[in-house]
Amino acid sequence: MNESVVAKLTDVSKYYGNGEGRIAALDNISFNVKKGDFIVLAGLSGSGKSTLLHLLGCIDKPDKGQIIIDGQDTTMMNLEQLAPVRMEKIGFVFQSFNLVPVLTAYENVELPLLFKGLDRKKIKNRVNEILDELGLQERKGHFPGEMSGGQQQRVAIARALVTSPAIVLADEPTANLDSKTGADIVNLLVELNEKKNITVVLASHDSVVLDRIKNIVTIKDGKII
Amino acid sequence: MNHFKLAVIAFRNLKRNSRRTIITVLVSSAGFAAIAIVGGYMEFTFFGLQEMTVCRGFTSSGGTGHIQIIRKDSVQKEEQYPLEYGIADYDKVQKSITGYDSNIKATIPRIEFTGLISNGEKSTSFLGMGVIPEKELMLMSYWDQIYKNLKNHSSQEMIYRKLALASPNAVLLGEGMAKALHAEEGSSLMLMGTTVDGAVNVVDVTVAGVINNSIKTVDKYYLVTSIETAQNLMQTDKVSKILLVLGNTKQTDGVLSVVSSKINSSGNNSEYSVIPWYKLAEYYHSVKDAYRIIFGFTGIIVVLIVFLSAANTMLMSTMERVREIGTLKAMGVSNRWISMMFLYEGFFIGLMSIAVGLMLKELFTFAINNANFEMPPPPGMSSTYFLKIYSGSHFLPWISLLLLLSTTCSGFLTLFKIRKLSIVNSLTHV
Ligand SMILES: Nc1ncnc2c1ncn2[C@@H]1O[C@H](COP(=O)(O)OP(=O)(O)OP(=O)(O)O)[C@@H](O)[C@H]1O
Ligand SMILES: [Mg+2]
Repeated sequence: MNESVVAKLTDVSKYYGNGEGRIAALDNISFNVKKGDFIVLAGLSGSGKSTLLHLLGCIDKPDKGQIIIDGQDTTMMNLEQLAPVRMEKIGFVFQSFNLVPVLTAYENVELPLLFKGLDRKKIKNRVNEILDELGLQERKGHFPGEMSGGQQQRVAIARALVTSPAIVLADEPTANLDSKTGADIVNLLVELNEKKNITVVLASHDSVVLDRIKNIVTIKDGKII
Repeated sequence: MNHFKLAVIAFRNLKRNSRRTIITVLVSSAGFAAIAIVGGYMEFTFFGLQEMTVCRGFTSSGGTGHIQIIRKDSVQKEEQYPLEYGIADYDKVQKSITGYDSNIKATIPRIEFTGLISNGEKSTSFLGMGVIPEKELMLMSYWDQIYKNLKNHSSQEMIYRKLALASPNAVLLGEGMAKALHAEEGSSLMLMGTTVDGAVNVVDVTVAGVINNSIKTVDKYYLVTSIETAQNLMQTDKVSKILLVLGNTKQTDGVLSVVSSKINSSGNNSEYSVIPWYKLAEYYHSVKDAYRIIFGFTGIIVVLIVFLSAANTMLMSTMERVREIGTLKAMGVSNRWISMMFLYEGFFIGLMSIAVGLMLKELFTFAINNANFEMPPPPGMSSTYFLKIYSGSHFLPWISLLLLLSTTCSGFLTLFKIRKLSIVNSLTHV
């Protein structure tokens, strides 16, 4: 296998419903993500963008096909067994940020590392490093409720990146933000991608995103076109 | 993951939902206080029963004293004639025992005997007790000193005083027996019994008083007289047993071992058995067992209520935090770690409930103990008493532990819910 491929999907299908009403959310998709890629999944609502991200992120299982994440074949593993794969290799950014409300910005970013069981000093250095990078040092003592949407999404990005995952997945990260803030977030992700060679797959139908990114994969009715 | 952070998350969530937390803590702590108060009442009752057993007893043979000394033969063999295995040199034995331990405050010799009592027209059998009234009064005064709040406690004492003041051949009768023989204070009756030689003997006696024995069935056969009268009837100079009265019932086991080890190695003529009061206290044990069962059931019900209330809170908490749970799952956190947060929530609820429960318990205990509630006489007894709640310090740690366990387990219950949540659906849950 090519060293630079971080995610490899082969003949992947995902169905919802049974019998007559069965629909293919993803229909026999084959798709590669290479290290350093910045891919935007575009398409109409219901085309299957989120479904594809869920499968890439190992938080859902395909009904057919093979998914290899950073060299790890996930076909034979269930969702609970995939938890360590998610922890090691995946970073998620969500549409509505999904920060833990009772934790400060710092603590939210620290959380994945705590669960990984790193030692205290390493955690502290790493969290501060990433907060510096994203310009969040001044916010680190704030709770999510005390921050704007853009700031929360920055913290969420920091949380996704802190474990240095093989791939960062973002589902409509700008949908809950105004266009200016959305553009800032996209620029941040692009900057991280260019400077740090971070691999990003992002689903969006936001023009702010589509105008900025060249590598667009369009999905229609569960197929890549 | 360090547990400290999980505990912090749990604590902050409790603070965030402070109203719900307060309600849950109130329910649990009220349950805790309820068990603690019932337990404290039980402890008070056990103490009362214990002292009652020692001072007055629940059988025809009166208060057990703290320790009884009898001859070993008397339990091993069947007596051929009255007091065959009685203690003959009881003055000497009493003297030497008193020196064994400074906690021994008094020794009381007693005779237990049976026979018939007659008013000339009608006879009835009796279970008699031969006593030295002055010495029996020591047991009474011991009772006084520990049981100041019991009402009507001195009537029996008055009657013993009468026996002490009356002529040598005076008897005290149970109320039932007095009725059956149409006897009252001053009546002349006859005691009939067997002497040590097997002959029938009769002694004329005068009724010095009627005793209201606490146990109704004993009342019909109950008779107390002086040691001399009893010895006279049986033509003997022995007594059945010697009772030891200690400064405090708690000293029983300590004194027991001292007396047991010394009594048979100090040149006394016979082998003796040394018996603590609780081996002579069937009634005490049966009441205690019954109370324990009631207490156990109350406890189980309360713990169940606490558990359900905490479980309800926990499940509400998981329902409200579906998205957070889904996010953690997506991050690769295992279900067990996630439910650990709720486990800590349950644990904290438990801790707070214990603290609040202890305060509630103290408050109510103080109020009850100072209100002087007069309680009706216990079954089969005739005197009322004031309700008291004891501290229950020896079982409080156990119910605390039980409460903590049940609230913590309710946190663990969330694991089943968390396991079932689909990650994808919970991520977008609102
Ligand atoms: N849990 C589900 N049960 C049934 N059908 C589902 C479920 N999730 C997704 N689908 C269906 O699968 C298809 C793909 O959905 P998906 O959410 O991937 O679309 P999307 O491209 O992300 O749309 P949007 O832009 O609105 O987010 C849709 O037809 C949708 O109705
Ligand atoms: Mg979608």
